Amino acid sequence: MRRDVFQAIADPVRRDIIGILAQEALTVNAVAEKFDISRPAVSKHIRILNECGVISISKKGRERYCHIVPKNLLPVSVWVEQYRKLWEDKLDSFETYLMNLQTKHKDNE
Amino acid sequence: MSSTDNRTITIKRTFDAPLKLVWEAWTQPEHIAQWWGPKGAAITVVEHNFTVGGAWKYTMPMPNGQEFISEGVYSEIVEFERICTSADFRPMTEGVELQIILAENGNKTDFTFHVIHPTEEYCKQQEKMGIYNGWGSAFDRLDALVSK
Repeated sequence: MRRDVFQAIADPVRRDIIGILAQEALTVNAVAEKFDISRPAVSKHIRILNECGVISISKKGRERYCHIVPKNLLPVSVWVEQYRKLWEDKLDSFETYLMNLQTKHKDNE
Repeated sequence: MSSTDNRTITIKRTFDAPLKLVWEAWTQPEHIAQWWGPKGAAITVVEHNFTVGGAWKYTMPMPNGQEFISEGVYSEIVEFERICTSADFRPMTEGVELQIILAENGNKTDFTFHVIHPTEEYCKQQEKMGIYNGWGSAFDRLDALVSK
């Protein structure tokens, strides 16, 4: 199965986990406690996030801590940003049209 | 940064025109036909059912003879305040949600535009279409950049 940032964010639970870990590093158990779904289910999502490279897991004593890897989340922003220019252009077009309309209105008054 | 922010483009503008005019220009088909397409491109308003649950569809001829289709269904309309709609832009991107929020600002109009890019189903669908391939090289460059 594909293992990249888009796979990581394809599931709502994984998006929530990313959101939680963006605030602070937590143990797998601490993450699991925040969800209603089973611990194994949360563990599986954490494993996928790890394989996708958006989190890393480090051992401290007997605990396994999950950390966010922000740079590997960047491609999502970049991907979305590709479309910004297109929308900016459309809004430019709208604004230009609006200004013409405005001028006509004023002439009619 | 929440994971939703990652998927949302927000554009804010203040238009130098009264709210009512902005609303009309944005929502009435005879106006939309004038500005929706890129400069000089003629678009056809095939359908424009401006009501909650109503569909809209605009087409534009592309240089290769095919049509570029934009369409969606309105999910929320609050007159002079807010419009939410689904939107597909074929063959480019599908399943985005557009939110348009207007507010009167004296004789001007504050305009907020959100494009929320889709989630699970979309990613899977796009995966099938192999659409990420095109972005691959951009990501490679980015990876090279951030790994330095």
